[in-house]
Amino acid sequence: MSYLPSQRSRRKLATGLAFLGPNIIGFMTFTLLPLIFALVLAFTNWDLRLHNQFQDEALRFVGLENFTRLLSEPNFWRYLGNTLFLMMGIPFGIAGSLLAAVLLSQDLRAGSRRNWVWLIVGAVLISSTGILVMLGAQVPAMVMLIGGAASLILLSGTVGGKTLYRTLFYVPHFTAGVATFILWKKLYSPYTGPINFALSPLLDGLTGAVNTLPSAGVQSVAWLLVAGMFALLLFGVLRLGHWWAEGDISQFGVILGGVMILFPAVMGFRWMPLPVLGYLSLGAAGIAVVLLGFKLFNAARVFKPSSLGEGLGGTLMFATVMMVAQFILLGLTTVIYNLPVMASAPGGLEPPSWLNNVYWAKPSLMIMAFWAAIGSNNMLLYLAGLAGVPPELYEAAEIDGAGRFAKFWNVTWPQLAPVTFFIVVMSVIYGLQGGFEMARTMTNGGPAGATTTLSYYVYMEGFETGRLGYASAITWTLFGLVFLVTLFNWKFGNRYVND
Amino acid sequence: MSTTKPNPAEPESRRSTKARSAKRARSPQETGRLIGTSALHLLLMVLALTMVLPFLWMVLTSLKPLEEVGLETWIPSSFQWKNYGILFGIGVGDNFQFQGIQYGRWYWNSFFIASCVTFLQVFTSALAAFSFARLDWHGRDKVFLLYLSTMMLPGLVMMIPNYQIMISLGLVDSYAGLIIPAAFSAFGTFLLRQFMLTIPGSLDEAAEIDGASKWRLFLDVILPLSRPGLITLTIFTFIGNYQSFFWPLVMLRSTHRYTLPVGLLTFDSSQGEQTNLLMAAITLSVLPMIILFVILQKYLVKGIQLGAVKG
Repeated sequence: MSYLPSQRSRRKLATGLAFLGPNIIGFMTFTLLPLIFALVLAFTNWDLRLHNQFQDEALRFVGLENFTRLLSEPNFWRYLGNTLFLMMGIPFGIAGSLLAAVLLSQDLRAGSRRNWVWLIVGAVLISSTGILVMLGAQVPAMVMLIGGAASLILLSGTVGGKTLYRTLFYVPHFTAGVATFILWKKLYSPYTGPINFALSPLLDGLTGAVNTLPSAGVQSVAWLLVAGMFALLLFGVLRLGHWWAEGDISQFGVILGGVMILFPAVMGFRWMPLPVLGYLSLGAAGIAVVLLGFKLFNAARVFKPSSLGEGLGGTLMFATVMMVAQFILLGLTTVIYNLPVMASAPGGLEPPSWLNNVYWAKPSLMIMAFWAAIGSNNMLLYLAGLAGVPPELYEAAEIDGAGRFAKFWNVTWPQLAPVTFFIVVMSVIYGLQGGFEMARTMTNGGPAGATTTLSYYVYMEGFETGRLGYASAITWTLFGLVFLVTLFNWKFGNRYVND
Repeated sequence: MSTTKPNPAEPESRRSTKARSAKRARSPQETGRLIGTSALHLLLMVLALTMVLPFLWMVLTSLKPLEEVGLETWIPSSFQWKNYGILFGIGVGDNFQFQGIQYGRWYWNSFFIASCVTFLQVFTSALAAFSFARLDWHGRDKVFLLYLSTMMLPGLVMMIPNYQIMISLGLVDSYAGLIIPAAFSAFGTFLLRQFMLTIPGSLDEAAEIDGASKWRLFLDVILPLSRPGLITLTIFTFIGNYQSFFWPLVMLRSTHRYTLPVGLLTFDSSQGEQTNLLMAAITLSVLPMIILFVILQKYLVKGIQLGAVKG
């Protein structure tokens, strides 16, 4: 080798850059340059209506004006609220994925070959008898259709096993896009959609039942639900206090988790169907605060200092589940309390008008997202995670006499913690940026802005109105939120996973 | 079909062989297990049924005559296969209003744009990944870190300035405006780099001893060995661009340049009451994805489980 070292390294650099060339030119033009551009834009009054080939008003730097305007804009907070509301569906999606993965990772072939044959014979027998009975009983064609579909799945499932089910689960996620969103829009259609066609007979039955019962009896169920909500509130808050006293979580974690767990009760003050219930709800929140304070005050004596982020991941997950569960109870309370009044109306109980209703629009989108999320990438990640759990751990748990459920909580769940953490972080990051496609195709952000998320806001301001500067400010605010989550992940992720 | 597939994600296969070798005779334990497995199958069937039913409704509605759209029954009185022809302008009756819907054109646009983007992106990503993974040059890791750090940014941040750039370049409402910005991807580079890093380094040395240039090494050794990675990236990119909605919606103005998602949106807002035709359009646009997934799912599942998650 007669080259001098410097010559040689220069040659290496040239080769390296030659291969990188096509990519890095594009990278610089469409990623790096726009990035710098976007940063500048956010501080200007750049507006497509003012700055185009026909009109050329002076471009002004407006300092932080875009940001201050954004933060003082009530709609921004509303859309942020919508985004966070839609994100409350994430835990359900993850739980669904986990359930699907656990089911799929079971032995679907029943152990021995003979059992497997029995399984197939059984499936054939069940399916064919079912179909014959339906034919004989002159059931409506619709029932036949769905029964037939079910039998077909069962049959191919026993033969195809895991791969078949996995494929069927994954299809909704894989095809999720404008096409399936429009499909769901039609499914949700209030007067011609199959969902409401299926619901109306059920609701008619419910109307009859509610009308025969005394309304106080029905409403007492609502009171029970309120009691359940308060129980959850107290349980959550006491748990937090307990963990804090044990030194498992930091003060920061207690406060953050506490605020989240108290949030539904405070909102309950506004949403409860009776003022009494509202005050009760506020009272329960107050009692919870006092209890927590008492616990913290008492424990302060033996308190050992812990770092800021101690157990934060686990706390947040716990608090989210508690919060969402309370919200569900709150929603059910409102519905059940009003049930007798609604049922005694002339038409009885009507199925909701889903996407056209301010209150139902967000839950409708969440239901659809849940449907698509069960068999998503998360399920595949969980499947890989489940395969990686060392079998010795299960054997050890079996020797200790652990049942199915105990094995799941004490072996599977902790072993899957890294996967869960990864999934939660990614879902939150994508959730913050999401919701545009669904809202644009299904509701146009409505009704009355109920489904407008932050990404939709960017679209409205930037591409419909043309205020590119202001829209850039929104995207950078969005980036700030995403960055916080990433930072959180980076700082506390490893600790939580090692627990 | 009954043979065990060589799938690493199957701890149960170990257990089942154990059970098989232990005893051939039927034991009460085994019967219990049969019942458990049957229940499992039923549960899985119910879950799968919820996944399938919306698609079943979609296909059946697409075959309904217009008068039966919006009726409670799912089953058409007669199967109208001509609905699919109408989408492409075949058999459109004289009393039929179907202006502005250029479904065949949209179909072609979507495939054309997604294919171009996929080809270009896989090509540029593979070159860059080779440079990052197999070549050694000054400042390489810093540049790679720069690539990585931009992956964290929300795509929306770059979309606004890119729109302004497209306006300045005069590429708004053109295929090039959809293809060129998507042809370069930090994610694709990252994904392929991870794959190329797993190829043993001794191959490079052997090639060097044989006097092969770096280009030959790339073309003849590394590229064929990263086939699974290339296929994974191809599927991701193709589906991602086939489904892409935000950017085409912003960029496209003329109806004949629409891609399927934007076209379907127009279809729904202008001819939405013809649900049968709309469902036929949706069925046809979902179909290629399902076929692609069923054929290539082996690569896709592996790619995702390796941590290559996006979207």
